[in-house]
Amino acid sequence: MIEVQHLTKRYGSHTAVRDLDFEVPSGQICGFLGPNGAGKSTTLRMLTGFLSPTGGTIRIGGIDALSEPLEARRHIGYMPEACPLYPEMRVVEYLRYRAELKGVPRREIKGRVEAALEQATVADVHSRIIGQLSKGYRQRVGLADALVADPPLLVLDEPTAGLDPNQIRQVRELIGELSKNKTVLLSTHILPEVEAICDRVLIIHRGKLVSEGEPQSMRAEMASKQSVRVVGRGEVEAFRRCLEGLDAVRVVELKERGGDRVLARLETEDEDAVEAIFRAVAEAGLVLRELRTIEVSLEDVFTNLTTDEAAGSAGSDGEGDEDDEDDEDDEDDEDGEDGEDGEDGEDGEDGEDEDDSDSKERA
Amino acid sequence: MAVWTILKREVYAFFVSPMAYIMLTAWLLLCGLNFTWLATYYASQPIGAGAQSSPLPAFFGGTTLFYLPILVFVPLMTMRLLAQERSRGTIELLMTAPVGDVSIVIGKYLASLVFWMALWVPTLLYVWLTSHYGDVDAGVVAASYLGIFLIGTYYLAIGLLMSAIAPQQMIAALLTFLALGTLFVLGVGQYIFDEYRDLFTYVSIWGHMESFSRGVVDSRYLVFDLSVAALALTLTVGVLHARRTEG
Repeated sequence: MIEVQHLTKRYGSHTAVRDLDFEVPSGQICGFLGPNGAGKSTTLRMLTGFLSPTGGTIRIGGIDALSEPLEARRHIGYMPEACPLYPEMRVVEYLRYRAELKGVPRREIKGRVEAALEQATVADVHSRIIGQLSKGYRQRVGLADALVADPPLLVLDEPTAGLDPNQIRQVRELIGELSKNKTVLLSTHILPEVEAICDRVLIIHRGKLVSEGEPQSMRAEMASKQSVRVVGRGEVEAFRRCLEGLDAVRVVELKERGGDRVLARLETEDEDAVEAIFRAVAEAGLVLRELRTIEVSLEDVFTNLTTDEAAGSAGSDGEGDEDDEDDEDDEDDEDGEDGEDGEDGEDGEDGEDEDDSDSKERA
Repeated sequence: MAVWTILKREVYAFFVSPMAYIMLTAWLLLCGLNFTWLATYYASQPIGAGAQSSPLPAFFGGTTLFYLPILVFVPLMTMRLLAQERSRGTIELLMTAPVGDVSIVIGKYLASLVFWMALWVPTLLYVWLTSHYGDVDAGVVAASYLGIFLIGTYYLAIGLLMSAIAPQQMIAALLTFLALGTLFVLGVGQYIFDEYRDLFTYVSIWGHMESFSRGVVDSRYLVFDLSVAALALTLTVGVLHARRTEG
């Protein structure tokens, strides 16, 4: 459905997207993942024709989007970031206008608008003024807009940004529902979202594709390595000597944490490493308070890909740090909303903190 | 088709906003004052003393009270057109719909002409009133309204261009006001610089109305207005196009 080759976008001397190649086959839900400022929105805007690329080719449903932009746009239902809408219009008037603008034949407009209202579950607010709707409803009106001309491809830029956990679940269910007969490309910087709904994930960082694949297989690739968390009591140096003495284990992080506690993060490929760690710590006469292996999440894959790169590419490190900070801020916001709503059943999925990850065993 | 769709939405958006009614009220108040003063003045003149017996030609461009409101109201009418879409982000919806940039610009422009004529339609009442107390030359009235329409094509196209350039409505309004104000003042040049007199006369809407309100349809004004409009609209399409490339 989407074929992109050598896609590049430069703003003056700044390259927002560089030499991007990817394909999205029909019928897939594809997640476009990356920290803020990675070039996700820029790429989606080029696909939908809002921006013209500096170089490269885009084909939408076999049509060259650069030489036949209007024809290509007919195949796309697009929901831009932050979901802009005309606040002064009523929902149904807005959708009628959009259907007409997208070239839906006059006699089909009524039916299409009703179908879109139904699909996006906004039929109950059809006569309300958009400006008076809640964020969740507005987001779904945006989805209804994307659906109204019944395009084969949906491009959704951060469809769940700014929603509370219940709304996020609704939107995800909706996207899952829609994907039965549509191709979906959605962008997000929220990892659990990708694991929850996507068939495939494209990870983009600094305008470059750094990885792609199924979320499960990407996780499996990383899962051969295990992360072990150790909390103990004693001297940091004593712990260092003891843990670094183990062959199968690599110390990633070792620090003092309040009082005489010591926190260590280890990496190993040996499944039974925890036993060796336990024995070694005990033999050294140190006190062990917590010992557990942490299942590798897609987040770790993501962090690995997007932070190693940042550290590796010299010259523009400052920018990378900024990106990462932005990202963390956003995730904090997510967590905050989780906290407020409390009753949400997806806490584990939305929690970005490693403490929320599944733990296989506790010592 | 897309032009019609965009035109309809634009007119809808204009007339659901309280701004439209505030503007219309203020406009009619100003026109009413202007007309009352002129009518009172002409009524006080002895018959046959002046060259004109009807206040209408004076109303259509004989006083600054005709021009000053135009310089203020045109920016207010055109500022929304593209700048608001941009600040709200809805421009992205519009420019990713299967609609060409030319259709977007034409749709918006025609909508602004509808607002423009909506300001002037109520003034037909003055014509009707005047016709009760004296002779009204239908040709002169028609030419006057044609002149007003042409000024609209000229000024609104400049307003639309400024709305495309500006990131926000207020900036668009200010830029338009400055541009139109400059053009208006340049029009005064016809009385100062003999050499370029013709040029200044074309630019000047005062010159326009002096001719049209006497019932003279000068095709040179017509060509000038339509050319400026075409140029400004082409530039507006160019601005939209450049946005896609430059971001």
